[in-house]
Amino acid sequence: MKRFFKNSRLLSIAAARMGFRKQTEQPVSFALVFETFQKTLTLNNRILALIAGMGDKLGGDYVFDNQYIQSECAEAALLTHELIVSLNTLAPQKYLSLFDTFQTISDAIKEELAGRPVIPKTDAVMPYSRITRDLENVAGAKNANLGEIRNMLGLTVPEGFAITSQAFDAYMSGNHLWEKVAAITRAWQNEEIPSEQASQEIQALISGGDLPGSLKKAIFHAVDRLSRKTGETKLFLAIRSSAWGEDSGHSFAGQYLSILNTPVENLTRAYKDVLASAYDPSAMEYRRHKGFSESEVVMAVGCQCMISPRVSGVLYTFDPQAPERDVMLITSLWGLGAPIVDGRMAADQYRVNRQFPHEQAIVSIAHKKEKLTPRAEGGTELSPVPEEDRSIASLTPKQLQLLAQSGLMIERHFKKPSDIEFAFDQNENLVILQARPLNIKMDRSQMVKKLPAILETAPVLFSKKGFIAQGGIAIGKVFMIHRDEDLDEFPPGAILVAKFTSPRFAKAIRKVAGIITDVGSETGHMATIAREFRVPTIVNTEIATQVLKSGQEITLDAEENIVYDGMIRELRNYHLTENPIEEAFEYRLLRRILKKIAPLNLIDPSATNFVPSGCRTIHDITRFVHEKAVEELINQQYYHHHDPNTVSGKLKLSVPLDLVLIDIADGLAPDVKSAAILPEQIASIPMRAFLEGLVMPGAWSNEPMSVDLGSFMSSMTRTFSAGMATPKEIGQNLAVISKPFAHISLRLGYHFNMIDAYITDNSNDNYVYFRFMGGVTDPAKRSRRAQFLAEVLSKNDFRVEVQGDLVVARIKKLTSARMTQKIYLLGVLVAFSRQLDVQMLSDQHIAFYAENFHRLIDSNLNPNKNEGNYDEH
Amino acid sequence: MMSTNQSTRILVLDDEPIVCKRLQPVLEKKGYVVETFFESETALKRFLENPFDIVITDLKMKGMDGMQFLTEVKQHSPATEVIVITGFATMETAKESFRKGVFDFLAKPFKLGEIQEVIEKAEMKRKQAIDK
Repeated sequence: MKRFFKNSRLLSIAAARMGFRKQTEQPVSFALVFETFQKTLTLNNRILALIAGMGDKLGGDYVFDNQYIQSECAEAALLTHELIVSLNTLAPQKYLSLFDTFQTISDAIKEELAGRPVIPKTDAVMPYSRITRDLENVAGAKNANLGEIRNMLGLTVPEGFAITSQAFDAYMSGNHLWEKVAAITRAWQNEEIPSEQASQEIQALISGGDLPGSLKKAIFHAVDRLSRKTGETKLFLAIRSSAWGEDSGHSFAGQYLSILNTPVENLTRAYKDVLASAYDPSAMEYRRHKGFSESEVVMAVGCQCMISPRVSGVLYTFDPQAPERDVMLITSLWGLGAPIVDGRMAADQYRVNRQFPHEQAIVSIAHKKEKLTPRAEGGTELSPVPEEDRSIASLTPKQLQLLAQSGLMIERHFKKPSDIEFAFDQNENLVILQARPLNIKMDRSQMVKKLPAILETAPVLFSKKGFIAQGGIAIGKVFMIHRDEDLDEFPPGAILVAKFTSPRFAKAIRKVAGIITDVGSETGHMATIAREFRVPTIVNTEIATQVLKSGQEITLDAEENIVYDGMIRELRNYHLTENPIEEAFEYRLLRRILKKIAPLNLIDPSATNFVPSGCRTIHDITRFVHEKAVEELINQQYYHHHDPNTVSGKLKLSVPLDLVLIDIADGLAPDVKSAAILPEQIASIPMRAFLEGLVMPGAWSNEPMSVDLGSFMSSMTRTFSAGMATPKEIGQNLAVISKPFAHISLRLGYHFNMIDAYITDNSNDNYVYFRFMGGVTDPAKRSRRAQFLAEVLSKNDFRVEVQGDLVVARIKKLTSARMTQKIYLLGVLVAFSRQLDVQMLSDQHIAFYAENFHRLIDSNLNPNKNEGNYDEH
Repeated sequence: MMSTNQSTRILVLDDEPIVCKRLQPVLEKKGYVVETFFESETALKRFLENPFDIVITDLKMKGMDGMQFLTEVKQHSPATEVIVITGFATMETAKESFRKGVFDFLAKPFKLGEIQEVIEKAEMKRKQAIDK
């Protein structure tokens, strides 16, 4: 606490500037409290800006490095620590446990930053429903890809769970294997023993171990859950390797073990065998050859419900021998697909055009006498194929079409030509068994030589219009969206073109190759969705819907922000052979770290998790601190004893705004002493202007539809839990005022509004700061309200930044008269927009309400149109 | 910008591979010939063999640091334009860089568009110098 107040000179300057009454001998004057409060909010805002900045770096437009991640994390930690100190100064020692919460989060971030391959401390098992590609270190590459396909793309994968890297570590440590394996590995690396011997010795060690009790328990718990979920009392599982690096950039294909149709009683044996396969001699040689460190050998394992497929196969999204031909290659046979992968059996082969509607050609139909099938008691066996099925195609045209669409969806998402193992089960459902990058022969050095010339002569439709919301290349036909219903007709692989961005595009996003819009923001909600699904997107081009025609073939280069006429396959292919930058270590690291920083879990202050230990991210901490800081100020100054040099009271207003006013110096008329304050008693210049705007006729009742006034008002001020909460717990509306100054903190429903204003005759000192965030409706509507605010504010000369549903607007150095006008406008705007998110049904509403707003202002206050033109600009 | 017959040759030096990985394909697609290095000694060796038109270098590196590297580059080939990229941008380092004849100074992280713009300007300057 002392540390914070040591700079007393600065403090007194600040106090003087805001016009504090002369300080007396008070132990804790309000000047100090308010200074701390403001510092808390400033720290809060800096952290939020930092988080947003880190998120921006993932968009693909920036060059950043590991050093950047390190320094931003250090900065975030520093600021957050300071923030918690600041809150505990404001509310002395009240929230010390926030330090522990912070420490836990901070430690987790540090662990990530260490950068060494660290086995994450997680549960020993993890169901597929919780796995995405960012969990490769936890679940291994194969599981991570499958989880991503299941959870992000909504395709069917086998039911199952991963036995994690942590479990591998527990097994190795529990059996004291790390040291022994390291010793043998060293001997092998020093060429004291050959790989066969090293492999044999290590595999014997691993196979000979015992599962630690807790691991065994966790695995069989997971099996039970799976059993309940599937309704199968006797489960058979496919036990598959899922090592670090397997199935991602490097192909360890076929080097590790998969054991099909394992009965549950053999699970531990199978698990150990799969672990041991990490030390297969060819895998060891491969790693040595590719320069992998042996400390990167970590084997997670996938346990999947065995399916008994009617037909299985492999899909390559390109023909590896002729990638320029723009066809996919599919092979299939009856029963299980393993014989294709092993090359044991001849299979049916098809070529399918990559372009919708995916024209098909049969290359060859194999004579399929036998098929591999699961055996009733476990394991697999060969069984005869019925005579009539032997010489017919094992896949139907409809299945080929579905495969083509699913395959391209996976390719678009992973941004790599893909090698996909699939099966159709007995009910004809497509199940994706595995997906990994396909290595194709494209000569990049040849491509890079030709590409600039091709691009130079390619017809550009428009370039450098709008913003890149997500990088990448898409080729395809334009599909114009006029109404939401058009989304139902969206042809897979087309490029979505629309006037406005809309989060409703999410509905079709898995079919979309690219997005171009006339209007929209790179930080809006749709941009977030585009990034999440990695769909190349350019927003705010202004002209896309005029220039482009439905059905037109185009190339969207969302790396360079150019749209070309025609499909430039060379550009697309070049891009596909690039290692997607999103897969780079630094991108993965930043994504993992952001998961510990950016998500907001604490939303409702009346919820039981709204406590220090409920904070799971840095964002949660800022949210918690913000809420408590405002609460604290109100508690101290209004409900309890307070600095006698301040006057506090509730404002009585013609509109139901539950607002506590704290006057620090001459913000109220001299005679005010009572707890109920009337607007006309307010002497604070900015506060008065703000309130006048707030009660401007028409500002409160702008609803185009009729609204039940009672319920409307109650949701307006009394917030969500009005029935049970006391006024003390709701309506955290607060204004701290002096003659030239007002700080206004509003929580109307679930959104936060903060206004800071300082207005004197010296226009150089004058400023207004406006900050708005949150809301209770879905993110789409909130982001529209944010855009509405941004539009109105920038039209009125504010400098505006929008990030998702956060709006920050500033204006400085206007004359006192003009500044007063601006804050009057803010008053109207706050009243007008407090519930507007509910009504923001489409992007068109943004412009509609902006116009309504200005008409309202004009009709009320502004007979002289010239008022808006300021010579300062 | 790619209308000259002779492609502009660019050397990128940064001890963080991600920077090279990010810049190389973007610049190649623009028609530049790009070589990337993680170590200043190797980069300098290559430069002395066959000088580049434009050099993009980090400052803080193990071994020979960026400042030393660019000093050698400028000494050996004054016509080469050097662009400094650094995460530790201070007034001092910026001033020193410019004193040594650096063309421009970018603080990391930067946008791809920003560095492309700087490269285009550097090319323009070289072209004007040659025209004279």
